[in-house]
Amino acid sequence: MATVLETPTGTTPTVTPARQGFWRNLWRVLRRKPTRLAGSLIVALFVAMGVIGPFLYPANLPIDAGNAYAGPSGSHLLGTDFQGTDVLALLVTGSRYVLVAAVIAAACTVVVGTGIGLYAGYRRGGPDSVLMRITDFIITIPGLPLLLVLSTLWKYSNPLTMGLVLGVTGWGSVARAVRSQTLSLRERGFIEAARGLGLSTAHVVRKELLPNVAPYVAMNLLISVTVYIYLEVGLFFLGVLPFNENNWGVMINQAVQNGVTQTGQGLSYLLSPLVAILLLTLGIVLLVDAMDEVFNPRLRED
Amino acid sequence: MRKLPLRLAGHLVRALVMIWVVATFTFFLIRQMPGDPVAAQYEQLVQQGMSPDGARNATQLTYGFMPTGSTWSQYTHYLWRLLHFDLGRSTQTLGVSASSEVLTGAKWTIGLVLAGILLSFAIGAVLGVIAATRRSSGTGDALTITGSLFHAIPQFVMALVLITVFTVIWPVFPTDGNVDILVDPGFNGPYIASLVSHATLPALAYALSMFGSYLLTMKSSVISVLGDDFVLAAELRGLTRGIRFRYIARNALLPLFTIFALTIGFMFGGAVFIEKAFNYPGMGVTLVNSIGHRDYSTMNATFLLITAAVIVANILADLLYTAIDPRVRRGGTAGA
Repeated sequence: MATVLETPTGTTPTVTPARQGFWRNLWRVLRRKPTRLAGSLIVALFVAMGVIGPFLYPANLPIDAGNAYAGPSGSHLLGTDFQGTDVLALLVTGSRYVLVAAVIAAACTVVVGTGIGLYAGYRRGGPDSVLMRITDFIITIPGLPLLLVLSTLWKYSNPLTMGLVLGVTGWGSVARAVRSQTLSLRERGFIEAARGLGLSTAHVVRKELLPNVAPYVAMNLLISVTVYIYLEVGLFFLGVLPFNENNWGVMINQAVQNGVTQTGQGLSYLLSPLVAILLLTLGIVLLVDAMDEVFNPRLRED
Repeated sequence: MRKLPLRLAGHLVRALVMIWVVATFTFFLIRQMPGDPVAAQYEQLVQQGMSPDGARNATQLTYGFMPTGSTWSQYTHYLWRLLHFDLGRSTQTLGVSASSEVLTGAKWTIGLVLAGILLSFAIGAVLGVIAATRRSSGTGDALTITGSLFHAIPQFVMALVLITVFTVIWPVFPTDGNVDILVDPGFNGPYIASLVSHATLPALAYALSMFGSYLLTMKSSVISVLGDDFVLAAELRGLTRGIRFRYIARNALLPLFTIFALTIGFMFGGAVFIEKAFNYPGMGVTLVNSIGHRDYSTMNATFLLITAAVIVANILADLLYTAIDPRVRRGGTAGA
């Protein structure tokens, strides 16, 4: 999944001609504004951090109690935490859980949401209204309190369970939007023509409808990654989840628990994960801006 | 065109079904808990020498449902008690019912959420108009980027940044709680001032994390309205800028109400983060604390109330939208 987020800066992927057009388009759009290049660079950096970062540090990070709450310095670029552990090391090793869970959750959301939306919108009638009732239900239930209540039963100990639970509770709005797009698409000429030719439902859905909702879905994939990062880090920040591994949420929780917001000591410890989240969000927002233009030629400002 | 009472009835039925499903879900969730707290308490009381009947009544008081009997009879009994708003007792604060525990939190949450909604709506709408009218200049670009960025910043990050800036680096606001405990409660100056100063940062955190979506919606809505013929007509008739602004703003405000419903759910969900960060004693903190203390009856009551609040807010938003925009008063199934 991680490859979806990486932008092909410089490399020419060997794919079908139509695909190549997309990548070339993306590259051209990215180059137009320096902010977009910066965005893709930031995202690529974070992906690299999640993939190779944890290998750069020992499994148990060194503790130095005499040097707790230190500010940024030459040996500790981002300062140290309440035990004297290097904050940069914590940040890098903690990124994998967060990123993997968010990507799994986003993939889950997109697959379930698109599937249900396409099916409901294309079939109409009974299945449609049943599915949309369920979708309404999923949308209406406040997600975070639900996740909190579920945390009493599930422990979210590995990124896979965390990602799946997040994805299962969050597909509602994608399903609803894909359904309404499908509803308008199915009345269009080319779908009528495909049906008139006697093509199978599977063909119409996969070859005619899916490519038309794909741009929306792709952008949603990116945006939901940020939403899920925010949700899971938030869950750990609240401190109701047991944790056995370090991640950004645990860092924030520990910083607040150790009174950083009261004493102001070790501010870089608290701010580092916050800034990391903001930076990643910024990167994704800038990248979405570029994607928007790739998919929507009408938005191009010439 | 459907009649309003009929519509309202449909909404109510749907809301009740939803609350029933959520209540059923939490019932089975609590029964699935590792170690089954309900059965555990019952057995502990029996072992301490209490009669089975006494133990059953005591456990029932705590959890709002019977510890023994078939699952079906436990379930129906639980629903029956729920109809009487009886959700058992809090186990963290002795002698307090779970529902009153939650209601104490609710008033603080609702105050904050309302303040946050109004602030973000005002900021977002005004900045959205500016972003739309200046969209080809640097100001417009800057506002749009700011809007999408703030929209994307998690609420707890916003809260923690505000705490760091305004209580640690530049200490002008209190960090903790809803009111200064040294001030006499009542309708007096210092008490109200203390309330306001405690609520300012949390409300600001809400507003800053919410105005982005209003800004972006308002911007695209104003841009589409600007292309309408009536705007050109108004311009040709030589109407002043102020009047034209009113024409545009009134029409462009409509889509903001559609995202209103979405933001309400977001607000109540976010209440958990913002209240926890500021240690503000609302429903969110009640929920987190009840989970921390394994106080399942309070947890159940809080979750049900938050869900009910979101459902009711959704219905209100839908009715409000119908009242405001005559075009949506259409036949067929609403919201389908």
